[in-house]
Amino acid sequence: MKCIITIELGTNAVRVFAFDLGGNVIGSMKGYYPTFHTEPDHSEQDPEQMFITMLYVLKNLLNEDIHPKKYKVACICFSASMHSVLAIDKNGVPLGNAITWADNRAKKEAQELKNSPAGKKIYTATGTPIHPMSPLLKIAWMKNNDPDRFNRASKFLSVKSYIIQQLTGEYLIDYSLASATGLLNIHTIKWETDALEFAGITADKLSELVPVFASAGTLRKAYQNSLGLHADTKIIIGSSDGCMATLGAGIWGEGKATITIEDSGAVRVVGKKVLQDEKQRFFNYLLTEDFYISGGPTNNGGIIFEWFARQFGDFKNPFGLEHSMEELITEASKVPVGSDGLLFLPYLLGERAPIWNANARGVYFGLNIKHERQHFIRATIEGILYEIYSIGKILEEHRTINSLSINGSFASIPFCTQIIADIFNKPVSLRQDYHSVGLGAFLVSATEMGIYKSLDEAAQTVELPDNYTPQKQNHAVYSRYFSIFERLSTKLFEEFEAIATLQQKNASDRGTVVNRIQK
Amino acid sequence: MNQFILQQGRSRELQLFPHIMELGIKKNSSIQLHSLPESVTENTRIYYIIEGKFEWTIQQQQYMLYPGDVALVLPGQKFGSEKGFLEIGSLSWIHINVHKLESGEMIPGKWSSLSESESLTIGKILLLNNSPVLSKLSEAGRILQYIQHEVFNQEIGYCTMVNQLIDELFITITRHLTRQNNSGRDFPKTFLQLEQALRQNLSHQWTVEEMAAMVGMGTTLFNEKVKNYSGFSPINYLINIRISEAIKLLKKPDVSVTDIALDTGFYSSQHFSTTFKKLTGFTPSEFRKNNLPNN
Repeated sequence: MKCIITIELGTNAVRVFAFDLGGNVIGSMKGYYPTFHTEPDHSEQDPEQMFITMLYVLKNLLNEDIHPKKYKVACICFSASMHSVLAIDKNGVPLGNAITWADNRAKKEAQELKNSPAGKKIYTATGTPIHPMSPLLKIAWMKNNDPDRFNRASKFLSVKSYIIQQLTGEYLIDYSLASATGLLNIHTIKWETDALEFAGITADKLSELVPVFASAGTLRKAYQNSLGLHADTKIIIGSSDGCMATLGAGIWGEGKATITIEDSGAVRVVGKKVLQDEKQRFFNYLLTEDFYISGGPTNNGGIIFEWFARQFGDFKNPFGLEHSMEELITEASKVPVGSDGLLFLPYLLGERAPIWNANARGVYFGLNIKHERQHFIRATIEGILYEIYSIGKILEEHRTINSLSINGSFASIPFCTQIIADIFNKPVSLRQDYHSVGLGAFLVSATEMGIYKSLDEAAQTVELPDNYTPQKQNHAVYSRYFSIFERLSTKLFEEFEAIATLQQKNASDRGTVVNRIQK
Repeated sequence: MNQFILQQGRSRELQLFPHIMELGIKKNSSIQLHSLPESVTENTRIYYIIEGKFEWTIQQQQYMLYPGDVALVLPGQKFGSEKGFLEIGSLSWIHINVHKLESGEMIPGKWSSLSESESLTIGKILLLNNSPVLSKLSEAGRILQYIQHEVFNQEIGYCTMVNQLIDELFITITRHLTRQNNSGRDFPKTFLQLEQALRQNLSHQWTVEEMAAMVGMGTTLFNEKVKNYSGFSPINYLINIRISEAIKLLKKPDVSVTDIALDTGFYSSQHFSTTFKKLTGFTPSEFRKNNLPNN
């Protein structure tokens, strides 16, 4: 019996799934790795720990679920978070940690480029919004602020490229992950000259471009031995987590979109054409030469509700955060739809799509004397989901969306899923038992192995039941409140900037005082 | 409130307790200049605030102490008031002579009935702790009162009682400290703190009990939470960090494999080699050969 293994190098953890050839999950495991914030805007991960954690989890899964059942591993397919950058020296040794997607150190570089004519041209060519997350800007930051590392770097890799190189010896990057670097021309599938110039590098400093189906070489002998795998185990390079999640979400074809909400969130559609947006609000990533995944990301997903639970949840019992969040949801469900007119702008972490304003901040609006504690709970959840809708709404200016597919730990809370259906006024499908990134990677592998004729055919096999139907009367309430939410989100532009400036100043002033007085 | 100060060598009451250097309670009703200049302490000092507001400096950091708060000053730390005097208010205290090992771990003397691993863990937690002020710990005030009562009344068994109470005081403070740092609201944050502590002291032979105590949890709950959150048992997670750090060192040519083994917490280069090979398929030396220049 053959099986397919998928490895997702995610934001906080590596997740490994094993599928039989019918697409059924026969085992899964995860392993956590930390993110280091040595400075406020910095967000880094240790590539060696990611590699070792991946190896450890893979080995455990093979030894516990795969080898004892006599499965033969046909292939291993990778996916990873987008936008990571790791500089390596001429011997392939990492120069410091990998910089993750959440890192904001390149704020200044991003602002300068975004406001220049070159910025617009690069966005149109590369499909990646001009934002500090983009490797283009991170490398430019390194050139300007860390010249020693920049000059010693023989290559700038994605974390996935590094890990695959450790396993097989090849420096490769797939079109899909490359299309999220801000350095790839998504129309010609070549490194974009203007972008390379801005970053201050030449194409030989990047990995070799290959399709998502490409074989990434042969597993080194030592790993064959330690993992108990054959030399003919195919290593498939795969894609990014966002593109795999979209592929696994069953939204192939016209009229569908997928909503992912974990800590952060995104609304995505698939198509054969790039979404051109004058205001540069969308990303357009390649899955293959034929398919673009387009959409908008938000910073403020489940992490905002977690923040709320930490501050205002009940922690009397020893069960911790998850239990506290469940109780809050129960309380929220007792509040009328629309929270009796209490609105919440969830911009605690600034915002990407659709307003792309790093200075945006959280707001409770419309508070009156009758509002109680539980109104805040519901308003917080509704605010997070209004924000998701505001992304969906601008996507609808370009695409027709008739139904939605949901994934991610926050979006799949039934209470939230129903609100999404109501706000969007569209049927929503949700399968509790599966993991869309892993499934996407399975579909890529199965297509490569010839089980499906094309990725198109593979994607059509994902069937999702419409299990949440919108309630008309709820939709009517939400749309009235949403129009106020939408106006508020841009109306406060100057005030957001003013308060963000004050907060930053305050934080740096306090930095010196806090050192003196601890209490 | 009866004020008193007992000092080792001067007070008969402390003859049977050579480890208690000072025991006292004071109601300070007027300010006397130079009554509390900053100086380096030789003993472990525990102060409990009964009344008033005190502004003290411990290791160059300023702290405000209010009634119910405890200050813990460890041997070798600089302690005092920046203004040089003791402010108006009431407080009680005990100074204890605690052995300091070479590795920086503290262990109490023979008087203590804490087991070796318990006292190592407590010492480690006290040392790693970077907030010497514990807020709202009236329990510590109560224990100090009992100690004073026992020392003065000398009823049958008082020697044992006093020593047990000192143990209890250390345990209470340690437990409070670990809970103060971890509200239970945020396991990811707790886990990050643990991860930092492990990295800071990777060569230490960590036990699960120590790790659990570090974040103020019982071992069973700790095991379950770590496994749930990280996918690994605490010890396996630690091995993860050890191997990752070892890999980084192996990629530098100037550290010997034996040194790497010991620096990253393996018992021996043999133990390192076996663990490393089991996971990666390479021995450390083979791995190094593959990753050094010109190979």
